[in-house]
Amino acid sequence: MADRMVFEDREQFLEGLRELVRDGVPRERIRVITPFGVPEVEEILPGTRSRVRFFALIGAAGGTVTGLAFTILTALSWPLVIGGKPIVSLPPFIIIAFALTILFGALATFAGFLLLSRLPSLQGIRSEEEHGNAFVILVEDGERR
Amino acid sequence: MAAAEKYAKVDRDVLAAMKRPGRAYLAGLAFAVLLAVMFHLLWAYQVRSGLGVVGKMHPVMWALYITNFVFWVGIAHSGTLISAVLFLFRARYRTSFNRAAEAMTVFALMVAGMFPLIHLGRSWVFYYLLPYPNQRQLWVNFRSPLVWDVFAVGTYFTVSLVFFYVGMIPDFAAAKQHVLGVRKKIYTVLSLGWQGTQKEWRHYNMLYLFLAAFATPLVASVHSVVSWDFAMSIVPGWHTTIFAPYFVAGAIFSGTAMVITLVVPMRKYLSLHEYITDDHFESIAKILLFTSLIVSYAYIVEFGLAWYGENIFERETFRYRLLGDYRYFTWTMLFCNSVVPLTLFARRLRRNTAYLFAISILVNVGMWLERFVIIVTSLSHDYDPYAWGIYKPTFVCLGVDIGSFGLFFALYLLFVKNLPVLSISEIKEHL
Amino acid sequence: MKRRDFLWLLGVISGSTVMSACGSPNRSAKFTSYLLPPEEGVVPGEASFRPSTCTECPAGCGVLARLREGRPVKLEGIPGHPVNDGGLCVRGQSSLVRLYHPERLRGPMARDGGKLRPIPWKEAFSRVEGSLKASREKGRKNLFLSGRTTGSLSRIADAACERLGIERLPEYEVYSHTAVKEANALLFGERDVPHYRIEETDFLLTVGADLIETFVTPVAYTRKISSARAGGGFLWYHVEPHMSLTGGNADRRFTVAPGRERLLLSFLLREVMARKTPGGRLPGEILSAFPPATAESVSRGAGIPPESVKEIADRFVAAKRPLLIAGGVSTEQPEGLEVAVAAALIQYAAGAVPERVDFARSENYRNVGTLRDMEELSARMGRGEAGVVFLFRTNPVFSLPPRLAFRENLKKTELSVGMGEFLDETVREADLVLPLSHSLESWGDVEPRRGVVSLLQPVLPPLYDTLSDGDALLRLLGNSDGKGSASGYRDLLAAAWEKRLGEAGKARLLEKGFVEETLPKRPVSLGVRRAADALRSANRTEEIGKPVLFLAPSIRTFDGRGRDLPLLSEIPDPLTTITYGPWISVSEKTAARAGVRDRDGVTVASADWKAVLPVKVQPGLPEGVFVVCRDALPAPPVRTDRRTGGAVDRIEGVGITKTGKKVEVPILSGSFSQQGRGLIPDPVHLDEGRRHQRWTLYPAHEHKEYRWAMAVDLDRCNGCAGCVAACHVENNVPVAGKADHLKGREMSWLRIEPFYEKGEVEFLPMLCQQCDNAPCESVCPVFAAYHNPEGLNVQVYNRCVGTRYCSNNCPYKVRRFNWWQHRWPEPMERMRNPDVQVREVGMMEKCTFCIQRIRAAKDKAKDEGRKVRDGEFTTACAQSCPTGALTFGNMLDKESGVYRLAHSGRAYRVFESLGTEPSVHYLRGRKP
Repeated sequence: MADRMVFEDREQFLEGLRELVRDGVPRERIRVITPFGVPEVEEILPGTRSRVRFFALIGAAGGTVTGLAFTILTALSWPLVIGGKPIVSLPPFIIIAFALTILFGALATFAGFLLLSRLPSLQGIRSEEEHGNAFVILVEDGERR
Repeated sequence: MAAAEKYAKVDRDVLAAMKRPGRAYLAGLAFAVLLAVMFHLLWAYQVRSGLGVVGKMHPVMWALYITNFVFWVGIAHSGTLISAVLFLFRARYRTSFNRAAEAMTVFALMVAGMFPLIHLGRSWVFYYLLPYPNQRQLWVNFRSPLVWDVFAVGTYFTVSLVFFYVGMIPDFAAAKQHVLGVRKKIYTVLSLGWQGTQKEWRHYNMLYLFLAAFATPLVASVHSVVSWDFAMSIVPGWHTTIFAPYFVAGAIFSGTAMVITLVVPMRKYLSLHEYITDDHFESIAKILLFTSLIVSYAYIVEFGLAWYGENIFERETFRYRLLGDYRYFTWTMLFCNSVVPLTLFARRLRRNTAYLFAISILVNVGMWLERFVIIVTSLSHDYDPYAWGIYKPTFVCLGVDIGSFGLFFALYLLFVKNLPVLSISEIKEHL
Repeated sequence: MKRRDFLWLLGVISGSTVMSACGSPNRSAKFTSYLLPPEEGVVPGEASFRPSTCTECPAGCGVLARLREGRPVKLEGIPGHPVNDGGLCVRGQSSLVRLYHPERLRGPMARDGGKLRPIPWKEAFSRVEGSLKASREKGRKNLFLSGRTTGSLSRIADAACERLGIERLPEYEVYSHTAVKEANALLFGERDVPHYRIEETDFLLTVGADLIETFVTPVAYTRKISSARAGGGFLWYHVEPHMSLTGGNADRRFTVAPGRERLLLSFLLREVMARKTPGGRLPGEILSAFPPATAESVSRGAGIPPESVKEIADRFVAAKRPLLIAGGVSTEQPEGLEVAVAAALIQYAAGAVPERVDFARSENYRNVGTLRDMEELSARMGRGEAGVVFLFRTNPVFSLPPRLAFRENLKKTELSVGMGEFLDETVREADLVLPLSHSLESWGDVEPRRGVVSLLQPVLPPLYDTLSDGDALLRLLGNSDGKGSASGYRDLLAAAWEKRLGEAGKARLLEKGFVEETLPKRPVSLGVRRAADALRSANRTEEIGKPVLFLAPSIRTFDGRGRDLPLLSEIPDPLTTITYGPWISVSEKTAARAGVRDRDGVTVASADWKAVLPVKVQPGLPEGVFVVCRDALPAPPVRTDRRTGGAVDRIEGVGITKTGKKVEVPILSGSFSQQGRGLIPDPVHLDEGRRHQRWTLYPAHEHKEYRWAMAVDLDRCNGCAGCVAACHVENNVPVAGKADHLKGREMSWLRIEPFYEKGEVEFLPMLCQQCDNAPCESVCPVFAAYHNPEGLNVQVYNRCVGTRYCSNNCPYKVRRFNWWQHRWPEPMERMRNPDVQVREVGMMEKCTFCIQRIRAAKDKAKDEGRKVRDGEFTTACAQSCPTGALTFGNMLDKESGVYRLAHSGRAYRVFESLGTEPSVHYLRGRKP
C-alpha cells in the first residue's frame, strides 16, 4: 500500500523517516522529496555515492587528452615556423589542454547528472502535483515480503 | 515563526521581485536598452566604414576595445569566486550574493565576448580564429595568446552558464508554483521536471561540488590567460611575470566592486534586507580591501622593478605612465584603486552600504583606467622612439564602450525581474 | 600529372572564364588582366622595360618604365645612364602618379565668359592663329615663355617662334642659378652652370649648394658623393647659413652667419693663393675685392669658430683634387654674386678648372633667365604690349612674388595660352588651355647636360586628348596633322638623331635610352676686366636685418611643382618628418625664447609681408634664422638682386608672434632623439654596451637554397626617401592622406627615421627586419604571419583577421594596418602593380622584401635550370637608392654583396638585445 507522509517541519520529517527505517521498511521503497538537500537523509538512508564523479573524471581526462592531441597533431600536420619556436611547443599547448580539461569535465559532469537523475523528466514536467515547501515521504507498494 | 511559514516567506520575498515592474525600473531598463542599441548601431557603422572610424592608430593598435574586454572578463571572475570558491570554503555568507554574482558573471562574459569580435579588422572572417577543418588544411596558431583566450573565455563562459543554470534548477521548481501563464510553462520546462527526490539531490550535490571544483581553477586561470595577451608580448610594461596574479587579483577586485554596485541597490529596491545583511556586506568589503592591497603591491613591484632594473625601455614606459601624456589617468587609477580602499580598514565604513556603493563605483572606474593605462601607455611609448604616438578616442569607440555598460545593465535588469535573484533552496537550507 | 597540378589547372580554366563576371570588393569593375594580348609584343603577366627620361625636374635622369599589359606600373633608373646610373629620387619615382593623376587636363579648353569650357583642338589652334594675327596687326609682340627646355624640343621651339614671329623669352626656372651663371660669365665668359666632377675629387667644399635636394642634378651628385666615399679618401665639408638635408649629410657642417659666406671664401681664396701653386696668381684688380683677413676676423664676421675656419682652409689647400661648389641659398642673396665669383676664382686658383669644373659638359642652363626677365615680362604685359603669350610648362603665377602682378598683367594680353598637364595656378588664369601629354606618353629627347642625349619615348598611348610637347609646337607650326599621334614629331626626331648620332648612335639611343658623346676639353681663360667692374659695385659688409627667413628648396616638391602629387605629400620631409601642410622651421633657442613648440601657429612678418604658419623646432638651425620651404608660400615676397637680376631668397627683419592657436600639421616622428636606445649606436647605446653570448632554446632555422637578407649602409644613406617612393609604387601601398596622418596612421612600409644628436642628424631607414625569431609571428592567432623557408617573415593577406597583435609585438613598429578600404581614384588604379595584391580593409601589411620580385627571379632561374645569381634582381627600394645604401641578396651565398657587408665588421642590428634576430644588417654610420 502506498503511503504518503507530508511534514512541514524538518525535524519532524527526519523523525518520521527514522521511524520508518526502524520499522524495517526496505529502503528501495522509500522515496523522499525535499525542498532542499537535507544531509541527514543520507545518514538515515545511505546509498551508493553518486556516480557522477566518474563522469567528471572521464570528461576531464578526455579533455586533457583531446587538448594535447588536437594541438600537437594540428601543429604537426602543417609545420609552420612561427617566431622560431619549436613546432610542438608544449607550454601553450598545455594551456589549451587545461581549458579543455575543465570544459569537458564540467560538461561531462552535467551530462552525467542529467543521465543519472533521469532528467529532464517528462513525468516531472507534466505532473501537476505541487509539494511546496513540504517534506514528503512516499512509501511505495511493495512486493510481498 | 513556524518552519513552513519561514520557508513560504523566503519564497514570497524572493519572488516579490518578479512582480510587475515599476516606473523607475522601466525607465532604467529603457535607458540601458537605448545604450545597448547605440552599441550595436555604432558597431554596425564601424563594420561598414572600416576600423578607421575609431581612434586607434600607429602604434597604439589596441585601446578601448581591449580595455573593455579585459575589464568585463575581470568582472566576471568575482562572481565565480563567490559562487564556487566560497562554496568550497563553506562560507555561509555566500548564499546572499551568489545568484546575483553568477548572473553578473554570465552577463559580463557575454558582453566581454563581443569585444574580440568588435576589435577585429575583418570581423566577417572571425571564424578563422576557431579551429575547424577546412579545405586549406589550416588550423589556428595555438601559440598565440589570443587563441588561448578563445579557449579560456569560451570554457569559462560555458562552465559559468552551466553553473548558473544548475544552481537555478531547484529554484525554478520552487518558483513555478507561484507564477502563472507563460512564465509558469517556461519555469517548468527549465526546471527539467525537478522533484527533489533524494536521488536527485544526491546527484545534484555531487554535480554542484564538481562544478564548483572545476570552476575554481578557472578563477585563477582565465584571467591569467587574458593577462598573457599582454605578458606574452615583448612590449615594455607588458612583458612581466607578475601579470597573471596581478590581473587575477585585479579581476576579483573589480568584480567584487561590481557585485557591490549591483547588490546594494538591488537589496534596497527589492527589500531583501533580511537576507542580505550588513554582515554580508562587511565580508564582501573585506575581500575588496584584501584584493586592493594585492593590486597595490603589484603596482609597487612594477614601478619598483622598472626603476631598479636598469632596463631603459621599462624605465621610460613607467616614467611615461606616471608623468607623461596620460598621467591624469594614472593618478586617478592609483587614487581609486590603492588609496580609497584603504579606508575600509575602518569597521564602521565597512558596514555602511552607501559608502560601499560609492567606493565600488570609484573602484570600477579605477580598474577600467588601470587596463586603459596598461594598454595605451605601453603601446604609446614602445621601443622605437620614431613610432611614439598618442591615442585619442573617437565617438565610435567611446560610444561602443558606454554602450557595453548599457548592454550589461539591461541584461541584469531583465534578470532581476525574470529570474530568482537569490538562491532560494540554499537559503532555506541554512534557515 | 600530380593531383595538385590538375586541380590548379582546373581552377585556372574555370576561374578564368568566370573572371570577367566577378566584381571585386574594391568595386573596380574593370579587370586588369587580359586573356588575349591587347597588342603585339605584350604578353599578359610578363613585364617589359622601355627606356625614357624623367621630367620631374630639370636633371633629366634616365628611367626604365616597367610595363605590364601595356601600361607602366613602375619606374626605375637606367643602369649606366650618365646622369643617374640606376638610381631615382623620390620625385622621379612619383612621376607615375603624375601620369595617372585624376586631375590631369583631358582636353583643350577655352575661357568663355569667365569659365573654361572644352573645345576641340582644331578650334583651339585656329584661335591661336587668329590671335597671333590680331596682335601682329595691333603691333603687339607675341611671346613664348617656357621652363628649361633642351634638346630637340628647344630647337623646335626656336624654329616655331622664328617662323611665327614669336619672341622666345628667356626660360623661367625658379632655381635659375643666376649668380653662378653670372660669375662664370664674368670670369670665364661661360654663362652656364658647369658640370662638377665630384667623382674626381678628394675634398669637396660646398657653400649653400643643396646637392642632395635640388641643385642642378641631385641624383648624379648624390651618386658621385657616395661612390667617392666608398672609394675612400674623400671628405666633404658643407657651409650654410641654415639647416638643410645636404648639410646634415656632409662629413662636417659649418653654420655661417647669413650673407657672410664671402668672408670665409675670401679668406680661403687668399690661402689658396698663398699656399697652392697651380692656377697661378690672380690679378690685383680682382683680389682687391677680397681684402686679406685672418681666421679670427673671419670668425667674428661669419660666426664660424676660428679653428674651423683654419681647418677648412687647411684641408682645402692640402687636398690634391679639391672642389668647391657654391649655390643654393648662399648665391640667392644680395651677396650671392661675391660668393659665386669667389667660388669660381677659388676653383680656378686651385686648378679645378677644367678637370673638375667642366664647362665642356655644362648643364645647359644658358637659356634660363632671371627674375628680372620676368619683371620685364610682367611690365610689358602690364603696358599692354603683349599679344599672345604662351606659357609652356611653367608656373609663374605660383612662384613669382606678388609685386610683379603677373596674374593681373596676364589678363592684359591679347590671348594667354596655358600649356601644361594640370590646371595649376598659371594655366587656370589662361584664356586658352592646351593640355600636354606626360613625358611617358611622348616622343622627344632631353639633353641634361652637353654631350648627353637622353631618350623620351611613349610607353603607352596618351590617356587623354593631349598632345606631346613636340607635337603641340608642330601643330602650332601647322606642320603635323592627326591629333595625338606621335608620327609627326617622331619622324622629325628620328631624322635629327640620325643626323647627329648616326645610324648606330640612333639605334643605341632607342635601345638603351641614352647616348653620351665624347666632347673635347674646353679650356677657359680668366677674363679680368668684367669681373673687376662687377665686383667694384659690390656691397660692402652692410648690416643684415636679423632675424632672416630663408626660402629653401624642398626635396619633395622641387620648386613647388610636386605639390600636385599626393604621394609626394604623403612621404615626409626628411628633416622634419612633416607630411601635409607648410611649416616654418625655428631654431631651438628661438623657440625657447618665444615660448613656442611644434605645431604652434605663429604669424611670420617682415616689414611688408606676413603669413601664418605652424612652427617646427629644427635642431641644428642657428639662432636668428628661419626656414620656410619654397612651396609653402605661394607668391613669396622675393626681391630681385639688382646686379644679377636673380631672386633673393632671403627675407630680412622677420619676426614671429604666437597666434595662440595650434595648427594641425602631421609630424610623423614621435621623437627626434634616440633616447639612448642605440638604433644608431654612435653615441653608444646605453643598453647595448654589454654584448653577451646568446643562448637559445629554439631550434635553428633551416635554409636550403636561399636566405634573403639586406644590408643598409647608414654611411651612405642621406635620407632622400627615394626608396620610400619606390616601395609605395611597387607594392600598391595606398596614400593615407592628411586626416589619417594627423591621427598618427601612416601606410608606408619603409620609413626614414631622422635622429638628431647635438644638432647633427643621421637617418635610419626602418623596414620590416624579417626577424628569425619574429615576435609578430607567434602572436598571430590565424597563422597570417609565419616564417617561410627562405628566411622571410611572410604576411598572408587573405588570412589576416585584423587583431593587430602583431603590430603591438613588433619592436620596430613596421607593420601597417588598413584602417580603410583605400580606393585609387580613376585612372590611378591602372598604376597598381598586378604582381602585388591590393589589400582589403582590416588587413595588416608590411614589407616582405618584394617577394613578388623574388618569385619572378626564382621562376626565371628555374626556367634556365640554375640558382638566382647575386645582383640579378633586387628589391624596389634597393634598386632606386641613388647612393647604393641598400644591398639585398642571399645570405647563403658567401660571395654575395650582402654577405660580405654583413660580415664586414661595420655591421650591427637594431635592438639585437631583444633576441629577434633580424635579417637586416645596418652598417654603422661613420663620423670623421
